[in-house]
Amino acid sequence: MLQELFSGLKATFSASAQTELRGQLNRCRRVSMLAGNIVSNSRTDISGVSARVYKNGTYGFSSIAEYSDEAARAVLQAASENADFMDLHAGRGLPSLPPLGKKHFPLTQDIRDVPQSAYIDFLRALDAYMKEHCPGLISRSLSATEDSMEKMLLTSDSMDAHTILPRSYCYLIMTAETPDGAPVELLQAVGGEGTFDLNFTDPALIYPQIDQLYDRIMHKREGVYADAGKKTVILGGMMTGMLSHEAVGHTVEADLVLGGSVAGHCLGRQVASEKVTLTDFAHTAFGERCPLPVFVDDEGTEAADVPIIENGILTGYMNSRQSALHFGMKPRGNARAWLFSDEPLIRMRNTAVHPGTDKLEDMIASIDDGYYLIESGNGQADTTGEFMFGVTMGYEIRHGKLGRALLDTTISGVAFDMLKTVDMVGDTVVWSSSGFCGKKQPMPVGMGGPALRCQVTIGGR
Amino acid sequence: MMEKLEHLAGMILSEAKALGASYAQCTVTEDTTKEFNVDGGQFSLMRTLFDRGVSITMLKNQRKGTVQLNCFDDEAIRSAVKDCISACESTEPDPAWAFSEAACERDFTSGEPVCDTDALFLRTKELLENVAQRHPKILVEQMITSHNAERSIYMNTNGVTYRTHAGAYSFSIMYSAHEGEKGSSFYSSDVTLARLDRPIIECALVERELSAVEKQIDTVPLGDKFMGTAVLAPAALMEIVLYTALGSFVSDGSLIEGTSIWKDKLNMMVADPRFTLSVTPHAPHVVVGEDYTNEGFLSEDYDIIRDGMLIRFALSQYGANKTGFERAGSSGWNLAIPAGTRSLDEIIRTIDNGILVMRFSGGQPAPSGEFSGVAKNSFRIENGKITDALSETMISGCVPDMLLHLRDISQDVLQDGTFSLPYIAFDGVTVSGQ
Repeated sequence: MLQELFSGLKATFSASAQTELRGQLNRCRRVSMLAGNIVSNSRTDISGVSARVYKNGTYGFSSIAEYSDEAARAVLQAASENADFMDLHAGRGLPSLPPLGKKHFPLTQDIRDVPQSAYIDFLRALDAYMKEHCPGLISRSLSATEDSMEKMLLTSDSMDAHTILPRSYCYLIMTAETPDGAPVELLQAVGGEGTFDLNFTDPALIYPQIDQLYDRIMHKREGVYADAGKKTVILGGMMTGMLSHEAVGHTVEADLVLGGSVAGHCLGRQVASEKVTLTDFAHTAFGERCPLPVFVDDEGTEAADVPIIENGILTGYMNSRQSALHFGMKPRGNARAWLFSDEPLIRMRNTAVHPGTDKLEDMIASIDDGYYLIESGNGQADTTGEFMFGVTMGYEIRHGKLGRALLDTTISGVAFDMLKTVDMVGDTVVWSSSGFCGKKQPMPVGMGGPALRCQVTIGGR
Repeated sequence: MMEKLEHLAGMILSEAKALGASYAQCTVTEDTTKEFNVDGGQFSLMRTLFDRGVSITMLKNQRKGTVQLNCFDDEAIRSAVKDCISACESTEPDPAWAFSEAACERDFTSGEPVCDTDALFLRTKELLENVAQRHPKILVEQMITSHNAERSIYMNTNGVTYRTHAGAYSFSIMYSAHEGEKGSSFYSSDVTLARLDRPIIECALVERELSAVEKQIDTVPLGDKFMGTAVLAPAALMEIVLYTALGSFVSDGSLIEGTSIWKDKLNMMVADPRFTLSVTPHAPHVVVGEDYTNEGFLSEDYDIIRDGMLIRFALSQYGANKTGFERAGSSGWNLAIPAGTRSLDEIIRTIDNGILVMRFSGGQPAPSGEFSGVAKNSFRIENGKITDALSETMISGCVPDMLLHLRDISQDVLQDGTFSLPYIAFDGVTVSGQ
C-alpha cells in the first residue's frame, strides 16, 4: 500500500497554474497454464509519481519511477517547465478550469497480496476438472490474473483522494475440432472486482461454468457458417455491453468528438429507438455496485453517472475538466490514467444499456429466421459509429426456436442506424469487466446490458 | 550510468544464486521519453517521463518464476528476488525451460541517444502545418510524437552480458477527413525514425495515406456480394494475413497445443512461390530492431516462408524444446516481405472485380485461418480502375487458401522503421455489402 508522503507539497504548487500530483502503484499477478504446463508465472509491481500542470489551455506532464518526496518535487518542476514550454510555443490563451471544490476522498478498503501458489493451486484444480470432465478437446488452457490500481491524488483546486481498484479473473479456454479437422475455440472469463482470494474461494464453484463452456464448444464444433447479409438477431447481454462501449461509448468521449466523431453533430437528436437508454455509470447501477466502481477520477472530479442516450435521444458526452469547459458541460469523473506515468484521458467506467421488459424466450420466439449471438471475442468501432464485433458463440433461430450453433463470425453496422432498429429489450442486465479498453493507454472498464432484438449485418463464409 | 545498471544486475544474479536459483537472468532498464500530444488538431500536452524497469527470471530445479518491478532500491530488489524464488517454488518443474548458455559480452547502440526537443517540436508543428496546407479536409484527431532514449543491461548466470544504448523518434498520427457533417473512417499513419532529417509527411506512406483518406468522405455501400480480388495495403495485410499466420500457425502457443494447421507443413509449400516472409531485426530500414531474444540468444534475421515454402517456425527455445522443432532466429516481429515487380497501379489495371483495403476491422483470427470483418478505408476496383470509396463492406476468406491464391505483389513498399511490407493482391476473397 502507498504511504502518505506528499501532503506538505501542496504549498509548492504554482499559484499561476492548476496542478495535479499523483502517486500510484499498479500490481499485476498472472499464472497461465497451457496443456497442463505452467507457461507463465509472473508478478509485476509498477510504482511512481507524476505531476500535471495546466496553463492557458495546454498541459505539461512529468513522471518518475520512484515514489518519494524528492521524486514528487522533481516531477512538479519538470511538469511546470513543460507547461511553460507549451504556453510559449503553442499557447492557446484559454481560461483556467472552473474549480470543483476541495474535498478529501479517503481510502475505503485495504487489499492483501495473494501468494503465487494460491493462483497455481486454483488453476491446477480447474485443470484437473477440465481434463477429467471434458473429453474430446484438442487443447485446454487457463489463466489466473489479478491487477489493481492504487492512487494517491493531490490537486490544487479539486478533490484529493486515496483510492484502490482491484480485480481478478480466471480465463477458461477450450479448443475442439470440427468433423473436418478445423480447430474451434471458446474463452470464458470468470471473476470481477476484488482480490483473487476473495473472488475464488472454491474451485467447485467454477465447475458449472466449465460445464457450460464445454457444452458450448461441443455445439460449436458441429456448428455452421452464418448466412451473410442483414439479419434480425438477438444480441445477448455481453454483446449489448460491447455495443454500448465500442460503438456508442467511444463516439461520445469528448476528445473524440473534438477529433471529428459522428456524435459531434447528433447531440439532442434521435440516434436510437425510444426503447434504448444508455448510461456510463460511475459506481452504482440499477441499485447495485457496478463491476468496476469509480468514485473520484484522476483530475479530482467526484464521479457521477453520464446519461448518454435517454429514450433514443443523444443527451451527453463524457468529459475531462478541459473538454467540459469547451462544451459547457459538467465533468463527471471520466478522466482516468492507467499507470503513474500516464496522463488522465477521457475513459468510460461502466457503460450499459438499461433493461426493458421483454423475456429472452419471447424474444427468441419472435424470430422466424435469424440468430442469437451470445459471446464476442473482440470489438472495434470507428468514429463514424461503424462497428465490427467478432462473434465467438451464437445459434441459429429458426421458426422461433434455437437451432444449430455458429462457427466464428462477425457482425457490423453503424451504431446510430442499428440502434434505431431495436424493437425488443430484455429484462436482465449482464455485465463483463475482464477486459481492457485500449486508447493510448489500457484501462479496465465494465460494460453491460440486456438482450436486444435488432438488425445487423452478419458476415458469412 | 551504465555502471549503476550493471551493479544492480550483478547484485540480482548474486542474490538469486545465494537463494538457490539454478539459473537467473535479468534486464535492468532506464529510459527517458519526451513527447508532444496534439488533440483535435491543437497542441495539448508535453510530457517528460523518467522510467526504469527490472525484469527477473529464475529457474530452481527447472521451475520458473518471473518478477517485474520499476524500483532500483536495494531492499525492493532483494525482496523481488525472494518473490521470484517463491514463484519458482510454487510451480511445477518443466525440463523445456532453457536459456542462452554461450558466454558472451556485447554492446549495442542505435539512433540518437539524446532527444533534440526543439527539433521534435518543430517537426511536429511542421507536420500539422503540412497536413493543413496539403490536405485541408483532414482533421487530426490525435498526434503523438516522441523520442525515447534507453539504456539497459541484460545479464544471465551463464556469463551473457548485453549493454544497449538506443534512441529513436516516433510519430503516430490519427486522422479522418471531413466536409460538413460528412466524415471518413479514421486512419493512423505511424513512423519510427533514427533522425529528424526530413519532413514527416515525406516518410513511409504518410502522404499517400492522407490523400487516400481525403477521398473517403463520400462512400457508397457495396450493395452486392461477389468473390473477387482483394488488394491488401500493408496495414490490412498485417491485420488479416500476418497476425493470423504468425499467431495461429507458427508460434509457440498453437504449436505447443498442437492446434496449428501448419504443424505438419514444415518444408512444404504453404504459399505462392513468389511469397517470402522474413523477420529482419538487422535490416537497414529497421530503426530499433531486436538485438537479443527474451531467452538471451543473439537475434538473427531469418525466413519463415521462403519462395512459398514453410522453412522455419517462430518458436522460442522453450517452444522448440516442447515441439522438437528448431528455435527461431529472433523473438521480435520486424516483418519483411520482398517487393514484387509491378507497381500498385499496374496491378490494379489487371483486376476486373475487386476491392482495395487500407485497414481491416475484424474478429480475432480463428485457429483455422478463417476470417471475416469490415474493410475499412476501402475502394471498389472495377475494370482495372479504382472507383467508389466503400462503406459497410465486409470481406471474408481463409488465410491459408489466400496465400496459395496470391495474384501479385507490388513494387510499392511501406518502410516505417519497423516493417517492410508491400501491397498484395489475393484472389478468391468474398466481398459483401449490406
